[in-house]
Amino acid sequence: MRPLLVAMAVLIGLTAATAHGERRQHGNLIVTLDGGFAPRALPRDRPAPVAVELKAGLRTSDHTPVPRVTGVELGIPRQGVISTRGLPTCKPRRIRNTTTAKALEACGPALIGSGRMVAQVKIPSQPAFAVHARLLAFNGRVNGRRAVIVHGLALRPPSVVVLPFLIERRPGKFGTVFSARLPDNLGPWPRFARFEMSFYRRYTFRGRERSYISASCPLPKRVPFAPFSFAKASLTLADGRQISMGIARTCRAQ
Amino acid sequence: MSRTITIALISATALAIAATAAPAAEAPTRDEYVAGLEKICKPDAEATQRAMKGARGDIRAERFDAAAKKFAKATAIFSANVKEISAEPRPTADAERLRKWFTYLKRQESYLGQITAQLRQDHPTKALRLIQRFIHTGNQANNVVIAFGFHWCSFEFSRYG
Repeated sequence: MRPLLVAMAVLIGLTAATAHGERRQHGNLIVTLDGGFAPRALPRDRPAPVAVELKAGLRTSDHTPVPRVTGVELGIPRQGVISTRGLPTCKPRRIRNTTTAKALEACGPALIGSGRMVAQVKIPSQPAFAVHARLLAFNGRVNGRRAVIVHGLALRPPSVVVLPFLIERRPGKFGTVFSARLPDNLGPWPRFARFEMSFYRRYTFRGRERSYISASCPLPKRVPFAPFSFAKASLTLADGRQISMGIARTCRAQ
Repeated sequence: MSRTITIALISATALAIAATAAPAAEAPTRDEYVAGLEKICKPDAEATQRAMKGARGDIRAERFDAAAKKFAKATAIFSANVKEISAEPRPTADAERLRKWFTYLKRQESYLGQITAQLRQDHPTKALRLIQRFIHTGNQANNVVIAFGFHWCSFEFSRYG
């Protein structure tokens, strides 16, 4: 019960700390990206556990249906450290075609986050309608590589999707990248209108307290806070276009 | 006599046409305006990126003098850019929106100057507060002209070090 209360307190703090999202328009497409982390005051010299929230949205300025997204990449800076050592993993096949409750039953110990998503369903000669889904994120491995396995369940119409996001290390400002390819057979899911995900998980391994995501605020003594590039989202669309945008947030050094 | 009247009439008509056509030729469409501004902003955005390279690292490493020099260069580029783009004729329908945008750009220009001054005076905390305001105002500026779909003329924090 205590970890749940701590998680709730952190996420409430996170919502309060989150700034308004940034928007960018490419042609008739409007992309939004928002997010934050809590606590905002972090040690200067070592990573400390944090909760991270990311929200992204896609809409059209002329209210035409949103295009299919074939690839998603979410980048976070190097000062964010992902730790999976000793954390149980979830195999995608264990949660395929399962409800949220069954997915939690099968992979609960590997849970690292949760969220929501709204996707558009476009059926020929009918107006597009929205599908609301609940998302769960589990720690996993795909082809031997670290991954986040996202389980999405929509009730109307009933549909389940299991989508792996591979975790990659890359050079540049956004050293940790979560990337997923959205194949055609995912039905309505690639026409997502918006999603939000919160990541927070504390666990114990070999008697040591660990966190799925940790971060530091590496600033000198005379600099109490500083803005930094917090996240970058890149979307690849079915027509080959690639759109990306980044957001900045401020960290406070303890 | 009749020849003189004809010439006078032709001249008057030509003048009238020129007078009505002139504002229409000066006011571009939104697409033309965006294309024109993007051409101006691209080299300036790239120059800013070059000038500001490593500025955030300089602040983190307490090299405030070095950071101040980079911010001073960026301020000069930003000021020249705002001056140049504000002289461009604007689409009539977007006049109010663009007026707001230029207000935000002027505010950003002022913040850049103040950041440079605070860094020169070795006041990192004040400079960082101003950087936060600079970013916030940049996002506000972007929101005003979101429908224009600017790339090079929009504010991007990643271009500043």
